[in-house]
Formats: sequence, structure tokens, C-alpha cells
Amino acid sequence: MTRRAGWNAVGIALFVVMVFPVFWMVSTAFKPDDQINSLTPTWVSGSPTLGHFSDAIHKAFFWDVVKNSLIIVLVAVGIAMVLAFLAAVALAKYRFTGRKVFIVLMIGIQMIPGTGLIIPLYVVLARYHQVDTLTGVILVYISAVLPFSVWTLRGFILGIPKDLEEAAMVDGSTRLGAFVRILLPLVAPGLVATSVFAFITSWNEYIYARILLNDQAKQTVTVWLSYFQGTSRNVDWGALMAASTLTAIPVVVFFLLLQRRIAFGLTAGAVKG
Amino acid sequence: MRTRVFVAALAAVALGVVAATASASGDRAAANKLTVWLQVDAQSGWPDVVAAANKQFTTDHPGWTVDVQYQNWGDHLQKFDATLAGGNSPDVIEMGNTEMVKYMAAGAFADISSSKATFANSANWLKGLAASGTYGGHLYGVPYYAGSRVVTYRTDAYAKAGIKKLPSSLAEFTAAAHKLAAKNSSTKGFSPVYVAGTDWYFAMSFVYDFGGQIAKTSGGKWQGSLDSPQSIAGLTAFKNFFLAASKASKTSDEAHPAPYDVYAQGGAASIIGPGWYSCCVGNKFKTTTAQFVMPSHKKGQPMPGFLGGSNLAVPASSANKALAADWLKDFTSTDNERALQAKGNIPNATNLLGTSVNERAAAQSWFVPAAKHWVDVENGNILRNMLAQILTGKLTVKQAAASASDNITSVLNGL
Amino acid sequence: MTVAAETTSKWSRRRRLTWARVGRGSVPYLLIAPVVGVLGALLAYPLYRLVVLSLQQYTLFELIQHKGKWIGLDNFRSILQDQVFWHTVLRTVIFTVANVGLTIVGGMLIALLLVRVSGWVRVLVMAGLVLVWAMPQVVAVQVWYWMTNYQNGVVNWVLAELHLGDLQHDWNATTFSSLSLVTLLIVWGALPFVAITLYAALSQVPGELVEAAEIDGAKPSRVFRDVTLPILTPILLILTSLSILWDFGVFVQPYLLINPSHIHPGNYLMSIYLFQEGFQKADYGKGAAISLLMLVIVAAMSFFYVRKMVKVGEVE
Repeated sequence: MTRRAGWNAVGIALFVVMVFPVFWMVSTAFKPDDQINSLTPTWVSGSPTLGHFSDAIHKAFFWDVVKNSLIIVLVAVGIAMVLAFLAAVALAKYRFTGRKVFIVLMIGIQMIPGTGLIIPLYVVLARYHQVDTLTGVILVYISAVLPFSVWTLRGFILGIPKDLEEAAMVDGSTRLGAFVRILLPLVAPGLVATSVFAFITSWNEYIYARILLNDQAKQTVTVWLSYFQGTSRNVDWGALMAASTLTAIPVVVFFLLLQRRIAFGLTAGAVKG
Repeated sequence: MRTRVFVAALAAVALGVVAATASASGDRAAANKLTVWLQVDAQSGWPDVVAAANKQFTTDHPGWTVDVQYQNWGDHLQKFDATLAGGNSPDVIEMGNTEMVKYMAAGAFADISSSKATFANSANWLKGLAASGTYGGHLYGVPYYAGSRVVTYRTDAYAKAGIKKLPSSLAEFTAAAHKLAAKNSSTKGFSPVYVAGTDWYFAMSFVYDFGGQIAKTSGGKWQGSLDSPQSIAGLTAFKNFFLAASKASKTSDEAHPAPYDVYAQGGAASIIGPGWYSCCVGNKFKTTTAQFVMPSHKKGQPMPGFLGGSNLAVPASSANKALAADWLKDFTSTDNERALQAKGNIPNATNLLGTSVNERAAAQSWFVPAAKHWVDVENGNILRNMLAQILTGKLTVKQAAASASDNITSVLNGL
Repeated sequence: MTVAAETTSKWSRRRRLTWARVGRGSVPYLLIAPVVGVLGALLAYPLYRLVVLSLQQYTLFELIQHKGKWIGLDNFRSILQDQVFWHTVLRTVIFTVANVGLTIVGGMLIALLLVRVSGWVRVLVMAGLVLVWAMPQVVAVQVWYWMTNYQNGVVNWVLAELHLGDLQHDWNATTFSSLSLVTLLIVWGALPFVAITLYAALSQVPGELVEAAEIDGAKPSRVFRDVTLPILTPILLILTSLSILWDFGVFVQPYLLINPSHIHPGNYLMSIYLFQEGFQKADYGKGAAISLLMLVIVAAMSFFYVRKMVKVGEVE
């Protein structure tokens, strides 16, 4: 028992250290302006204010950008996960010509610096009339997330002990549909981790959203956040921190909804081989 | 067989959703819409000015709408480049005056010289702003507004240190700094005049004050001039002033930390920067804050200040150039310029100038060399590195200036 | 040890059987078709453009004219002859190795910790990790800047209180200290993903195997090496390769934390070099050439891992 208590203590200490900058962001969101820039740091404000949160919510387009970001990210992640899972199954379970090329492409695409592709990608999207549209951004995010997702899901599928796979397969069925249905729960932890990653990458992406979206009513949360710092004048740090705190919430919610599926011992109840 | 159908169906659905949503949306450029890019300063600082211009424009051109899209200073040029490549640039764009030359030289903007007479007060435009919008004798950018640099100071701190008269020369200012330092020696890290080490806008003012300059043209090529005797005198004067008056980090820049934050925390008796710094001095010193013009080393004269500002240009690929010029006329009308002035900016013409400290400081100003590669000097932090080397003592003034000068020569000549 | 070894070899035999049974045909092509379709539609032309641009003189002037000037390999030549390029490559390679090492090892340790703590602590730590992960990069950099601020940073303040440093420590004073700070920031931001993914992978390790090995008398480190690690290998290879890719090309954190006003060739990282030379100077041809060179370098760095990754899936 003390063993576990020891580990628990380490876990809590880890939590404190890792979360400190996040704590600083949230604590700053509640501080009145003069405490934010004081020479001696204020750990937790003695006179907290909700003013910054009010400023953030009432700043133009707040609800629009939250809605836009949610639509873009949920659609992009949803589609990307489906496509990536299918491709990962193909890579992990089948042998076919062109497999090696596909694999190399998946990893190769990731090696190209994103900055280099901005202008050519913009030109392509302009040609498809997808500039200043949510779908244009969705397409970019799907492409950004696909290679990595295919790779990782392939790894998770490969990592499933054959023992369990076979045990779960009834009468040695070779039907792909049944196969997929069996595979899904076994690879669930991997799907969750990958989709959380895809969600966060897309939610926090800035440069492509900035370049592609002009209409302020269509922009995403990250672009909206950048307006707090975009002027050549005084930056409202309190409001920026409050806004950032608010925009981190959907990610945490998304994760908490899914975190049960990353369960240790998911396989504990598997049929003995 | 069934599984293949299943897989094919799944794939088709996935692609179908993407295709359907793609065709359903898509904002084709509206037929009668003028697209204007302004910086967020306008959105938060003077939305009424923008609204007035739009109202005037739509009245003069019924059936047209104006879509103002606000940009950030940090990435608006990257966005602009993307639209130039993609063929859908805005009809009007706000550019910083140091950003203009590069784009004018590349042919990014339309020649609006023929419309010059229609712009309000164009005969009296501020020299510095007008120059930044002109290239090869043609007008490409309309002056929008300017800002100069002043000293924002605490009247109570100055009074306590026994400074009865505002300094009218650099020597007097330095003496005042000593008095302030003595009076506030108990406050750790207190700066009589807080100035960041690599604030090149301020440091170069000394260079121009002593008759030097950053670079000059000779025979069609650029030549760095920071190694001239006058420039070196100016840099030395800056070094002495900094060491006497500022406790800022020798390598910090003028935005990190923001000088007004240091001031608000009681860490400085005076700060040097744009006039609008007085907005953010904190509640403690709001009533005891005033401004004066930075004095030259020559008694009674102001030190030349960096004239920052913005121009408005019409991209050459715009389909609505005449209308864009018309909007520019509406936006820079005398009334609008007066409104900008009321918000603490310097208006774009000399006949509109008032007597605020900000505007008086603009009487003597300097500007960066009108070279198309100037932004590369800025982005390469050549001046900042030189100042850091001088202040930390890594190099002597002569050595640092010579090295920076050589660097500037090669960069400005595109090498 | 024997039990684990036996079981593993039994598996590989069974693997062979399963493989043959699932079959070939057009199914795999249908499965990868959507991915190929989306990526092809969006990226084929930009990638082609990138190669073309690298062989052209394409500055702002050419961009506006929509026409580049062919100069063959001149862009590549001028880059490869630039001392700054080589110094930057070396600096970035060292930087990447440090970051990847710290991230993978740290992530593995956290994942192992997550297995051993009570349920509520696990949720707490995972929620903490996700909070870190969810922080927008720009905001995270800003908070780290505040924490290490020369004037009033809390980290400097704590160090001063503990008598470990001075109150006005300038983290940007040397390249080493500023890049160390950037490393801390990046590893801090990267740990959540690696830790959570490895934890998910650990959940695939059957409890019975671990128990069997422990009953056999194996120490935890042996258990880890012989039972856990082989199962985690595919995921670890992926995470390492991806970390190499990402850390080599990282841009936002170093650029913003060191701050544009402090960036100079002495503290360039590859992505910043690309940004300065390609975009700030509006030399898109050169930028494209640098992008391709970066691709070659990072491919070389990750070659070993990628090859292993592909092999792992090859089976027989």
C-alpha cells in the first residue's frame, strides 16, 4: 500500500510541476491589471476579478469563433479518424503492391516543413474557391492530421496481441466487416489517443487558419486570440489569459469524455487463449 | 463481396461529405464589394473614423459595400504575399511606412499619382510619410497617420528630485537623471529614464542628432554610414546617456517589458516612446504624468525623433482601383484626420498639426533609408546587435559601428 | 523469461496463419483510396510547386508577376556555400536529439507512473497533461516568457529566493541558455501526447503476461525489457520518428520565446533560418530549396527508425 502511496506522491508532484504554467495563465485571468505586471509575483490574487472573462466573452465574435472552431475541428477529426483507420487496417493487415510507396509517402509528407507549403497550398485552395471558407480549413486540417494518424493507428493495430484477436474472432471469420468490428474495441485506446491529438492539433492551429480566413465571423479561436496582441499598442493580458482559459475548455471536455476508453486492463477481461 | 461493397460505400460517403460541403459553401467575391485591410489599431482605437469613411463611400457609390478586414502587424505581410500569389488581394491595404519600399519596388501597388489632387491636404503632407509612399517619382501610398517619440515623465518624481525646469539639452537631461538616481537609490533597479538597451528607434535619434545617418546612396549603391565620425559621436552619446539613466537590460528590446509597465510599477521616473504611452501608466501615477520633447545635445532644440506611421496603398491587382482611390479620399478627409488627431495620433498634413507634445516632437524627425532591402536590416536585427555589443562592452563603439556598417552595406545592396 | 519467450514465439506462428487467412484483392486499395484522394487533391500540386520553385528565382517581384526565372541549382548552391546554413544544421541536429531524447524518455516514465498510481491520481495527472496539451502555443510561450522575464519573472524570483540565481537573470544572454529554455518549453508541451499515447499502448500489454513473468521471479526492469518493450516497439518507433520530424522543424516556440528582436544567425534553428531567408526576405525560391534540404536532412535523421518501423509491420 505504501508503494502505491509513494507513486501517488510522485504523480501529484508531477501534476503540480507540469500544470504550473497553466495555473499561471488561469490565475492571471483573475488578477486585476496592476497585479499582472507587478515586480513581485502574485501567486493567487487577493482581489480576484471576473472583469477579464467578461471582456473576453463580450469581445466581438467570441461565440462565432467558438462555433467555427468546434465545427472545423469536429468535422476534420471525425473524417480523418475514419479515413485513417481504414488506411491503417490496409497497411497493417494486407499485403499489396504499392504498399511501400504509400508508407514512404505517409512519412515523407510529414517531413516537409509546413511553412514552405503555405503559399502553394493557398494558391491551390484559391483555385477551388475554398479561401475564406470553413471547408477549406477543414481540408487542410484533415491533410495535416492524416499521415500521422495513419501511422499511429497502424502501430496500435500491429500492437494488438494476436492471441486476443483470434480469441475474439468467432468461427475464424474472414469477412472484413466483422473483422473491423472486432478490431475496433481492441484498438480503441489508440483511436482515442490519436483523435485527442488530432483534436488538439487542429484546435490550436494558427497560421493556416490566419492565412485562409478573412471574414472575422468565420475565423477560428486561435485567430481571434491573436487579435488581443495584434495592435502596436497596449496588450490586454488579463483578457487574453481569460480568453485562452475559456478556449482550452472544449479540449479538456473532449478529453474527459473519452478518457475512460484509455483504460488500463481493457484486455483484462479477454477470453483466455 | 459484401465487405467490398461496405468498404466502397464507406469511402464514397466520406468523400461525398467533403465534396458536398465544399460545393455548398465558398464565398465568391461579391460583385460590388470593396475589400479593405486595416490594422486592428483602427478597430479598437478609432472605429468611428472607419465608419464615417464607409458611410461617405456607400453614399457616393450606391450598390457598393465596404468589407473592412482587420489584420495583425505580426503576420499581415505573410497574408498579403499569399493573396498576391493567389490573385485575390484586397483593394486597399494599410502598410507600415518602413514596409512600403520593398513592395513598391516589386510593383505590388497601383500608381495613384493621378488621384493625388483629390486627397485632402495632399499639398501639405508630412514629408516623411509622403516620402515613404513615393517611389521613382510616382505616388503609391497615401499618408494615413504618424507617431513620434516623446518623454513621458512623473511630475512628482521630478519635483521631489529638485528638477524645476524641464531639460532643454542632453547635458541637462543627464544631470537630471543623476539627481533622480540619487533621490531614488533605495528602489532596486530604478531607472531615472527607462530605455531598453536595443531600442534602435531611440538610439538612432542620437546618430541623426549629431549629423550622422544610417546609410546613404552614392553612385546608385548604398553605403552604410554608421562608421562616420558624426555617427560614432552620436552612438557614444547614446551609450553615455544609457549608462547614466537606464537600468534596463542591455540586450532587451523596447517591448519586452513594455516601458509603461515598468513605469506603472514605480520602476522609472520617465520613459521614452510613442505619445500614447501615457494611456497605460497605471492608476497610481495617472494624475502626475506629463510629457516633454526629448532635447537635442544642442541646447533649445528637439532631438530628431523617429517618425513612425502608416500608409494606405492600392494593390496593382485590384479590380477596383478607381473606387479604392475614392475610398482613400474619404478615409483621409480632413474631418477624419482631425478625429485621428483627437485620439492622440499625428495627422498626415502640416496644416493640421497642433501643439501637443507628440506633434511638436514631429517637427524634427528622421526616417530609415528608402532602400528596398531595408526590412532585411530590421529583420536581421543588425542595429539591435550593434547596440547590445556597444552597451555590454563586447566591442568598442568604433568596432561595433564599423561591423554593422559593413553588414548594412551588403544587405541594402541585396548581397 | 522463458514463459515470455515461449509465448511470443507461439504468437508469431499464429500471426502467420491469421495473415494468410485475411486475404488480398482490391480491398486494401479501396481502404487507402480516400486517404490518397484527399492528400492527392490537396498536396500534389503544392509539392510539385515546391520543387519547381526551388529551381527558380522567385522573389516578391516574380510572385507579383506570377512568373519565375529558371536558375537551375543556384539556390541550392548559395545555401550549401553559406556558413550560416551548416552551423544552423549542426545546432538544430543537437537541439533535436536533446528534445527527442527528453520527450521519449520522459513520456515513457510518466506512462509507467500512470500505471502504478491510484485511479483518482491517474485522472488528475491525465487531466493535467491534457490541460498542458490544450494550451494554445502562443499563450504558452507568453506565459513562459512571463515566468522567465528579466524584470519580474517568477522563475527568476524563485531562483533568487532559493539563492540559486540572481533576480535579473537574462535567459537570452547566451545561445545555450536561450535554447535550453526553448527545449524545456517544447518538451513540456510534447510530454502529454507521448505520455498518453504510451499509456494507451501499455494498456495493450496483457496483464497475465506481466504477472506470469513476475511470478517467474523477474525484476521490474527485466519485465519491462522482455515483455513490455517488444509490445511497445511499434508505437515507440512511431513516436520517436514523429518527434524527430516535429522537433527538427519546430518554429513557433523558439521564434516567439527567443523573440524576433533577439533572433540572429548565432541562434538560428532550421525553421527560423527558413523563415528568415525564405519569407522575411521574400525569396521564395530559396525558401523552397531550404524546405527540400530540410526534408533530406530529417529523412536522414529518422531513416533508421522509419526503416525499423516498416520492417516491424512486414512480418514475413
